[in-house]
Amino acid sequence: MSSLIDNTAEVAQPDLMNEYGKVTRAFFQQEPESKKVPGWKAYEKVLFRIGFIFFVSICIPNSVEWYKQLININWTNLHYRDLYDIARFGSGINFFGNTIFGNTLLGYANWIITLAIAIIGGLVWTVIVRLRKKEVNNYDLLYYWLRTIVRYRAGIGIIGFGFTKLLPVQMPYPSLGLLNTNFGDFTAQKIYWLSVGSVPWYQVFAGIVEVTAGTLLFFRKTTTLGAVLLFAALGDIVYVNFAYDGGVHVYSTYFVLLAGFLLIRDVPRIYNLLVLERYTVPINYYPPFKTKWQQYSRIATKAGVLILFLGVLYWLQYVNFKFDPYKQPSSAGVKQLRGNYNVTEFRLNNKVIPFNPTDTTRWNEATFENWTTLTYTVNKPTPIDLSNGGGDPQRDINRTFELTGTGGGRRVFHYYADTIDKTLYLQDKYKAVPDRRNRTAGVGGDGGTDANLKKQGASEGNETAAAAKKKAAVDNWISAAAWQHIGNEVDFIDERAASTRRDREFAENAGKFDKRKRQVLKYETTDGSHIILTGINENKDSIYVVLDRIDKKYVLPTSTLVAGKY
Amino acid sequence: MVQSITNSQSVEWKGYEKIVLRFFSAYFLLQIIPIDPKFYQLLFSVNWLQLNYADIFNLAHYTPQFFTGGQTFANWLVIALLAIAATFIWSFLETKKGHEADNNTLYYWIRVIVRYRLAIAVFAYGFIKLFPLQSPYPSISNLNTQYGSLTDWKMFSLSLGIVPNYQSFLGFIEILSGALLLYRRTASVGAFIIIVFTGNVFFSNLAYEGGEYVYSFYLITLALFVLFFDLNRLANLVSFERPAVPNTWHPSFFRGRLKYGRIALKTLVIFLFAGLYGFQTRSAYKNSNSYHVPNTKGLPNTSGIYNVTSFILKKDTLVYSPNDPVRWKDVVFEKWNTISIRSNRPVIIDSNNVEEITLDNKDRNYEAEGVADRHYYSYTIDSLNHLLTLHNKNTHYVNETLRLSYSIKADGIIHLSGVNENSDSIQVVLNRINKKYLLEEAAKSGRRKGIKI
Repeated sequence: MSSLIDNTAEVAQPDLMNEYGKVTRAFFQQEPESKKVPGWKAYEKVLFRIGFIFFVSICIPNSVEWYKQLININWTNLHYRDLYDIARFGSGINFFGNTIFGNTLLGYANWIITLAIAIIGGLVWTVIVRLRKKEVNNYDLLYYWLRTIVRYRAGIGIIGFGFTKLLPVQMPYPSLGLLNTNFGDFTAQKIYWLSVGSVPWYQVFAGIVEVTAGTLLFFRKTTTLGAVLLFAALGDIVYVNFAYDGGVHVYSTYFVLLAGFLLIRDVPRIYNLLVLERYTVPINYYPPFKTKWQQYSRIATKAGVLILFLGVLYWLQYVNFKFDPYKQPSSAGVKQLRGNYNVTEFRLNNKVIPFNPTDTTRWNEATFENWTTLTYTVNKPTPIDLSNGGGDPQRDINRTFELTGTGGGRRVFHYYADTIDKTLYLQDKYKAVPDRRNRTAGVGGDGGTDANLKKQGASEGNETAAAAKKKAAVDNWISAAAWQHIGNEVDFIDERAASTRRDREFAENAGKFDKRKRQVLKYETTDGSHIILTGINENKDSIYVVLDRIDKKYVLPTSTLVAGKY
Repeated sequence: MVQSITNSQSVEWKGYEKIVLRFFSAYFLLQIIPIDPKFYQLLFSVNWLQLNYADIFNLAHYTPQFFTGGQTFANWLVIALLAIAATFIWSFLETKKGHEADNNTLYYWIRVIVRYRLAIAVFAYGFIKLFPLQSPYPSISNLNTQYGSLTDWKMFSLSLGIVPNYQSFLGFIEILSGALLLYRRTASVGAFIIIVFTGNVFFSNLAYEGGEYVYSFYLITLALFVLFFDLNRLANLVSFERPAVPNTWHPSFFRGRLKYGRIALKTLVIFLFAGLYGFQTRSAYKNSNSYHVPNTKGLPNTSGIYNVTSFILKKDTLVYSPNDPVRWKDVVFEKWNTISIRSNRPVIIDSNNVEEITLDNKDRNYEAEGVADRHYYSYTIDSLNHLLTLHNKNTHYVNETLRLSYSIKADGIIHLSGVNENSDSIQVVLNRINKKYLLEEAAKSGRRKGIKI
């Protein structure tokens, strides 16, 4: 602060100013006592009032879920998602709903409503000020605080996003099942996510850009550079989301909007300096923070944000990357059952079905992933989960990146393995209506799809979802003895990655199962190179399957950065 | 600060600044002014009456090479050493003369040369993206290739190929930054955009093992040089929050004829690298004539993927088997004259990750580069005798030829018989698969609805 005053004092010579052309208006505001100082123009004040209401509305979380999650955080046993959920929200005035004439306008309708209300609010504010004859000279102080709110909102938000890339888990490296799928059998969204996930070092680079941009926003001197980076990077991501139908267009536009706001101050100055080649003096108002109390709270707030969102979040994200990559299951699969397999023999109800790529019942090729998943292909149309496969599910069955946006007749099953009785309890990972993701994300934070938002609405309206869960609670398809052998999924993860969040979700869902297709298959193998599976499939037919491992060499390089511990 | 304001017309140069300026002048001149005979070979091989965008691109893609093989940073080292030598000689001569060139004028001209060189480079890449030729939409064969059978660079390019409008957007940004470079007062803004944009390209090339990481870094160095001119004042303005002094030196020598010469040169650059080149890349795109995709028509009404329902090798019928080393699994007929065959026969990857444009049909090899899984054949049709002659497109199998007579039994059923690459006789029955691609179906119906495929 003092340095700023010193600098300006050095050149505060009015004659020089006149000689070298237009000086930014802000310069004169440096000395508010001076009679020459023009205040803000009337239209500037009106615009500011509108902007103030609008940006405060979209920067302060207004969803109940967000505050609930914040209150419920157990700070002694954190999960990365606890902090991520604080960082990842959209907001806006939604008393009047989120649609305009029933249309969400791709999710942007809420902003338009918010803007409309901000305009009305700004005009009312103006009228009140005029009636009370309390017109202020300027809004420098309020503008400072608005910029501060936006800077911290954007900085925290993009850092939350950036760390999932910097420790590459947002786009996982393709599983065996995905590697064996033809390029044309993915959705465009999936192709983009995989193109980044396949090259983790590139994802790290993208994460560094985002985290750097966010960090730069925490400091006055680097805010403009941070805002430019944020604007460029997220502007690109907005376009990517439209081109590939990525579904995160609203939330990425959010950052472009915030970055754009932060640039409004400097862009005219840069134009003045470079294009008009005029002498330019940047004068920015900063409140003095005179009392000790003010100084300490400023430092404490800033330090708190830095420690929490750069230090603690980095550590939590590292733990997540290492032991619990959130888009892929975290439990290790049975050690012998890993790899690519040919289906050497296949019997359905004791009838041998010879290999034929056009057959609609036979398994073609199978993969056992490093985690608790079996996949195989059948030449038969199957419903596709078109979601992104993200969110924060703790249970492996709900971590669906390995099947979302993927066709080619691939079936993906989660298994619980009883390794003593050599039995796999398989459940189809596909679910007609995927669970709602990002509950706390709120308006414009991509909180869910039409399908599952509707479903949620239905369950709130006294519908049967809760009852169905209760009914499912008495499901005993896995015997108590088998559970003894299987163990408790909540503990399958490395203990360093244990968290209250995980414990709570497992406790809430103990003994409950969604309605899914199931298979119970016994396996026989010595070292996993030759496996015989026998049992009952999802259509209640008995199957007998012989799998032989193949050593498949991929052209796509593997990375030195591998998420998860299996 | 105040001093430089009062003395606005000429900026004083410190001793070391002069030396640094001389070094960078020599360095960038050597990097930019074509000194490599290859450039002139290229230049004189161009048919100026039928100038095409491939020629313009390849000329714009010039960098000096002292070593054979691909582009390496070793070339830069040689140029840096030459530039150091030049700096010594230059300084010596000027001291001897006791009179030195005007450094402001020198800086101005070097910056002009760097700006135009950089603008030409980004135009060259920008237009083949604006009219999405650089990464074409995946061929049927590529759509039917397992994800794990793609090199990372190929995967990157195919992923861009499915979204032509995004590719156009990227091209637009490049062209915009090029346009900003043509004007002195906006050059730094253009350079900054290039640093961000090409910075990303550079890291993509490193991460995805692309072949243009040296070249993209070269463009970044040019952009840094352009931006450096305004860096100090920009930092003062937006970061240190200090008063910022604008550039006050203006070229005073553009008078009379020189003024027209300047306009003429600028117009020429814009005409050649934006107007003509833009027009030609646009026509190539409009006529679906990407330099990556052959434009010879294939066998009529055959395009699609075929299941191999019967396969007879030397009179032995081979049944379906996932492990059979010889039997074909499926066959693709493209719209153009390419057939690809999937089997368990391994493929030595034909990799090319450098952008060099040739319009010759035999060089349009994009579909076969960077992929395993399938063998790709370019074919000629003898429609009189119903004979196809297939030549493997992969440079590792140049001598491989298959001669197959064809008969089309019904729509979607093709019988082939003849000799394969080992001169063994084969008889094959192909049945077209009514293949639906999730990529296309999901784009049609949108992701918000359910889909079964």
